[in-house]
Amino acid sequence: MTRTATTQTDRAAPSLITLNRILMAAALVILIGLLGVYVVYASNLIQFPFDYDQGEGFELVDTILFSQGQWPYLDTEIYPFYSSNYPPLFHVIAAPFVWLFGPGYAYGRLLGFLGTLVTATAIGYAVYRDGQQRLIAILSGLAFLASNTIYHIGPLFRQHMTMVMFEMLAVLVLAHANELGNPQQRRSRLVLGLVLILAAGYTKQLAYATAIAALAFLFIRNPRRGILYGLGFGLVGAAIFVGINVATNGQWWLQTITANVNTFYPHQTVGLFQLWFGLHGFLIVPAVLYIVYEFYFDRISIYSLWWMVAVANSILSGKWGAGDSYFATAIAATCVLSGLFAARTLNRRWQFPPNYLTRRVIDPLRPLAPALASAALIIIPLLYVGYGRAVLHMPTTGPVFEPLANALNIHPNAQNGFYDSARQQDGSFSGGYADIGHLTTQGDIEAGYAIVDLIKAVDGPVLSEEAGFNLLAGKDVITNPTQLLNLANNSLYDGDALLSMIEDRTFGLIVLRAQFYPVPVLQAIGRNYTQTESIRMNGFEYLMLRPQPPQSMDSDTEDSNGGG
Amino acid sequence: MPFPPNGPMVYSCLMFDKSLTKRQLGLLMIIVGTLGFLAIIGIDLIDVGREGGIGPAQRIALGLMMATALLGLTLLPLKNTPA
Repeated sequence: MTRTATTQTDRAAPSLITLNRILMAAALVILIGLLGVYVVYASNLIQFPFDYDQGEGFELVDTILFSQGQWPYLDTEIYPFYSSNYPPLFHVIAAPFVWLFGPGYAYGRLLGFLGTLVTATAIGYAVYRDGQQRLIAILSGLAFLASNTIYHIGPLFRQHMTMVMFEMLAVLVLAHANELGNPQQRRSRLVLGLVLILAAGYTKQLAYATAIAALAFLFIRNPRRGILYGLGFGLVGAAIFVGINVATNGQWWLQTITANVNTFYPHQTVGLFQLWFGLHGFLIVPAVLYIVYEFYFDRISIYSLWWMVAVANSILSGKWGAGDSYFATAIAATCVLSGLFAARTLNRRWQFPPNYLTRRVIDPLRPLAPALASAALIIIPLLYVGYGRAVLHMPTTGPVFEPLANALNIHPNAQNGFYDSARQQDGSFSGGYADIGHLTTQGDIEAGYAIVDLIKAVDGPVLSEEAGFNLLAGKDVITNPTQLLNLANNSLYDGDALLSMIEDRTFGLIVLRAQFYPVPVLQAIGRNYTQTESIRMNGFEYLMLRPQPPQSMDSDTEDSNGGG
Repeated sequence: MPFPPNGPMVYSCLMFDKSLTKRQLGLLMIIVGTLGFLAIIGIDLIDVGREGGIGPAQRIALGLMMATALLGLTLLPLKNTPA
């Protein structure tokens, strides 16, 4: 415990101090336990050789293309009808691993996992730097990793958590940059912070929210500096944007911006906000109180602005294709702010300068201050204990987890014997919450190789909804279905060439999972292919479709003509 | 208030070189919230071809703009406290 905390607890009764230490230890044990579950999950996923979350394989394809010096922003009307809709940085970072190890999921997942550890460390450092409470700083970092959302997205071959890492580092660097007395140091710090935000934005577009928060913060603290650095930031960002757009003949704009305008489903946003609060409420309430405090009684920090913009940006989680990952930035900001709230409470550093709110709200409560300070010794650790229970997720099988699950009376509500507090006991969950988090099994790996064997056995090209099978079978990866759907939903996809190949039954095999192709593509598949078998892998049914025999072609054509 | 020796431009730059006050921030938020609100409403007025009135995303954006302006309003009494 730090010096300031000791000073605080010295004033309290010994029994309260003992209880505080017991509860702090309990919170630490729970969150370290959840870190253990996270490490087990990450280790399991890193060894899994196939797509785990829908679309991971296309991130790998982007990485392979970059490793070959090619852009993944391609014309989807031309074979292999492939394009990416994500910015390049994550794939560029992963590209050297392709040179070293060839195509594979392990390094991308490892990068995502390590990114979350860096973010958690940065959260802990931010809390410690401003709060001077080592244990609260550690709990804040662990709380980030314990979140159900961070847990299940962290070790995926996806760029989202790398974006959050850059965002957190940028906010950490910029938080006190304005107060640096040495102009050279201040300039360096501001430039570094803005470069990190650019890195976040060129990892995933969603980081624009952090850019808004950071530029607003710089403007509030020093308008002239905010405008000058904002202009520089905008010019550099725009120059990179235009450069990529020119280099890709406009495909960058089409694929990453225009095609990303998707239908908004308000009920999905509402459901995900309810879920977010249900899981993280123990930390959201103190975070909001801390923001209110800063707005009315102290300087407004970058963390508060970041939280507000990130939470507002999470409304976009209701878009088609979006989900709970859109809350990851808000979760990071929540962990920082709740940590600062806890540290300030334990340090008794709340100060209320005279103003209209102090007179009306704070002054009447002043007689209760000593009692509140004592109660805080119990309430603060209980917040983390309560949070640990709210986000509980763990396997319920195996020599370690089964006895633990039995002791905790935890029953599986997800695939492969996994318990996730974000789900109901019958396994149902909010729309947009990713249906992942469970561990994979040897049976899943065998099922994946069975699909690869089927693809290898086919002459000619294979249309697979997940790229990993084709990569392992040595076949071309054809299309990125969700991107075709994005384009089609915005009336930006024609698809004649792909439709002709399907109508000609050029593909020896089609592998479907979520059936995220545009409707005309699915209809063409339905007219020309028949499901011959299905293989269950990782809890999902993979449908194998083969060309309909030639004798049925004529009748099918008549059927389709007749049926319109 | 008299300008410093180098004239009004330097004066305005010097003003610009320090933190906003809570009152200035409040005013700024009221302006942004109000203009944003009007702009969102304006989308339907200008784009006459649209059907269905104000959609769910627009309603959320309108709510955010109103919240911004209201938050700004509560900051005005805090006067010259640095933001």
